[in-house]
Amino acid sequence: MKNKIFLLFLILAVGFASCERKIDEFKANANGVNFSQFVSVGNSLTAGYADGALYTSGQENSIPNILAGQFKYVGGGKFTQPLIPTEDGVGFQPIPGGLYFFTKHVLKSVPDLNCDGTPVGTNSTKPAFLIDNPNQITLQQQLFAPSAVAGPYNNIGVPGATVQTLFYNRYGDPTLDGHPFNPYFARFATSPSTTMIQDAMIQQPTFFYLWIGNNDVLTSALSGTDALVTPVDTFAKYYNLAVGALLHSGKSPKGVLANIPDITSIPYFTTISQKLPYDNVILSETQAQGLNLLYASFGHPNWGWKAGRNPFVILTNTGEWKKMELGDQFLLTLPTDSIKCKGMGVANPITYQANPIPAQFVLEKSELSNLHAKVASFNAIIAQAAQQNNLALVDMNTYLVSFQSGMVFDGIKFNTSFVTGGLFSTDGIHLTPRGCAIAANHFIEAINAKYGCSIPQADITQKKGLIFP
Amino acid sequence: MNYFVNCAIINQKSFNMRKITILLLLLITAAMTTIAGGYQVGLHSQRNIGMGLIGTSLSYDASALFYNPGGASFVDSKFSFSGGMSFIMARGTFQANDVAYQANLKHELNTPFYFYAAFKPTKNLSIGIAVNTPYGNKLAWKDDAGESWKGRFIIKDISFKAITYQPTISYKFKDIVGIGVGLVFATGTVDLNKSIPLDGANGEGSLNIKGSTSSFGFNAGVMVHPENGWSLGLDYRSKIEMKVKGADATFTVPPSLGTNFPNNKVDVMLPLPANLDFGVSYEFGKNKQWMIGINLCYVFWSTYDSLVFDFQTKTAAIGRSATPTLYVDQMIERIGAQYKINKTITVRVGGYYDPSPVPSGYLNPQTPSLTEIGLTCGLSVYPFKGFSIDANFLYLMGAQRDETYIPDNFAGTYRTGFSIPGIGLTYNF
Repeated sequence: MKNKIFLLFLILAVGFASCERKIDEFKANANGVNFSQFVSVGNSLTAGYADGALYTSGQENSIPNILAGQFKYVGGGKFTQPLIPTEDGVGFQPIPGGLYFFTKHVLKSVPDLNCDGTPVGTNSTKPAFLIDNPNQITLQQQLFAPSAVAGPYNNIGVPGATVQTLFYNRYGDPTLDGHPFNPYFARFATSPSTTMIQDAMIQQPTFFYLWIGNNDVLTSALSGTDALVTPVDTFAKYYNLAVGALLHSGKSPKGVLANIPDITSIPYFTTISQKLPYDNVILSETQAQGLNLLYASFGHPNWGWKAGRNPFVILTNTGEWKKMELGDQFLLTLPTDSIKCKGMGVANPITYQANPIPAQFVLEKSELSNLHAKVASFNAIIAQAAQQNNLALVDMNTYLVSFQSGMVFDGIKFNTSFVTGGLFSTDGIHLTPRGCAIAANHFIEAINAKYGCSIPQADITQKKGLIFP
Repeated sequence: MNYFVNCAIINQKSFNMRKITILLLLLITAAMTTIAGGYQVGLHSQRNIGMGLIGTSLSYDASALFYNPGGASFVDSKFSFSGGMSFIMARGTFQANDVAYQANLKHELNTPFYFYAAFKPTKNLSIGIAVNTPYGNKLAWKDDAGESWKGRFIIKDISFKAITYQPTISYKFKDIVGIGVGLVFATGTVDLNKSIPLDGANGEGSLNIKGSTSSFGFNAGVMVHPENGWSLGLDYRSKIEMKVKGADATFTVPPSLGTNFPNNKVDVMLPLPANLDFGVSYEFGKNKQWMIGINLCYVFWSTYDSLVFDFQTKTAAIGRSATPTLYVDQMIERIGAQYKINKTITVRVGGYYDPSPVPSGYLNPQTPSLTEIGLTCGLSVYPFKGFSIDANFLYLMGAQRDETYIPDNFAGTYRTGFSIPGIGLTYNF
């Protein structure tokens, strides 16, 4: 009797102990949408460009590549990317007669210096080039190195692309004869004469992604002006051409469009002004009088320097001198050392030269409002294209705004601050891997909502943020 | 499992007191831990566990010191000792919302224990001491990827243990009313690990908090035996404010962020909630072979409205953080019965319903306390008069619950289950 009861206990205990408490796994469902051939078209945000350069792991963490990984749950196929064979990164800027190449930025702990170059004794963590004077030949070779996988590639993300450049013949032809050409496309274009949109169409996507238009505003804003923005009717024409081309590429694809974030809320345009007020020139009565005399000698009598706070002096895009106003924003490129040590925005304390801030470092309030208006117009065109063609629409504009006051996912806090915000990489424009995963999840939400699918989201905790020294 | 096998072997042989002493010592020196709603643990007497964890109206042995000090004076032997331990095998699964991701509770054995000693210098007076583990929380999460479980920025693992020492005095009037009160001295330790979402060359940041504290409370009860076979009990155990002052906080972060996260002392405040228990039981049948009882246990969980960490060295990154928890008061309903088959064997059965004190929006992986249903069975074997080996088995099922933890935006479905065998000894003489 006793032994039997003990035996019963033993069986009960073993039985229940081995009984796991299961929960049903996530049930993925394509709801009839064919994700087998996924093609993405876009700019640097699509290419996986980050930290001011293109590098392997940045591309591996590109938004389309994360999406493709999640599409595998709903019948997604192979997704190829033109991976650049370096983790150091390759970026470039045009210089007379060619291109100057640089590596990606990383956060470095650097000593703070006084104006005379002596160390203050403290350190600051700042983005800096990974390699200061990189070998130009090496970087050029890396940029144009033939990829191990033959194209065309599923990810046609080209840093710098705009709606118009999608249709540029020879956009990938590196022959230097003055035609518009983009080395980032040249490195994987199927032929020198092809266009980005052709390289997408020949793959006959069953599902496409188009996130284009940011550079139609951003390129202008990065130069501190609103003058270079694509005209609205041009944008509408080429945007609708691109959507139509993808829709009629052969397989009657479904697709997702994303709109243009409010570029002026990204760290590149907000960081400096958060720390440096427009009127941070603090003068004594004597200094103010001296400056008024100095400015008069430069042809600006009655400038109105006064004791106390004064606005910086900036150059407008037409070369006029102007007092900075509340709402004008500094760009991340502003040489803050020159502000601090060379009197930029006031007058050089050593040479006694008046020293206004060059136009490319400031976006004036009026320029900002024009850029805002352009973004709104472009986004209306994008929304209309999505609606008319029954495509999913990702509202990145609204989504980015919601991060300004901060968001939290899985206990990780994010906002739009530079370096500390977790969302933006060291270039202040492009996203961290974790930021890319958040963006990819927003795409998935839009696709699920539009097509009634159940595509699982990416686990953002498996992606990294900025790497601190 | 081994304990059962050992127990069976021991049972077949005749007992000697040396073995018992060794076993008791083993039980008491072993570590403790948890389960039940919130971070309260209900495993305080193998006999009572066997019948749905009722006990407020019972006075069979020294465990009354804890369940209801008013009942200790009704224990009808001059000496009563009871000690035991439970073996919690927790199973838990987390399925993230919208993500194809699951994680599990690590299969760790938790072993809450108790020891009670009561002595009656006179017929109506009892004095005694209760040592047990009424509060605790110990768990660790893992997924297939190992170290990178999705909720690690909220909690990786936590071990919170409280041991209470309760000297108690109990007096009864005319075999009808017993009153008793105990002073509760509680010691607590906390040791928790979480990750910090700051990446460096050596991977992610982390935080360990480790500290200990002690505090006081009280336990007072009254028991009434109005007529033959009936027993009523009311017991109040006060809240115990556990303030861990100056726990060690050890940060591991990338070197450039070291000044923002200095190794540090931190004050952690965690209240152990008050309990008001009411019980009624009735003995009947030949030689009072049968007993059936119910308990209603009201837990004042609402005292736990936030989890506060107050770092003594404050920087831009760390300071005083109060995470809302917003627990709500809950009533646990218990029912149980016992049947004395003969002089040697008594069997027990019971069950209870323990609603989760965690409000919607605040269920988190640190204390994934679900509404639980417990089913119990148990038995006592008496090798000789007054001495029993008490064993039981408790199976606790947590109701599946889908929640977003609002403060950290951590969403998913939790499901837990606990298999809890237990073994103990009671000696009345």
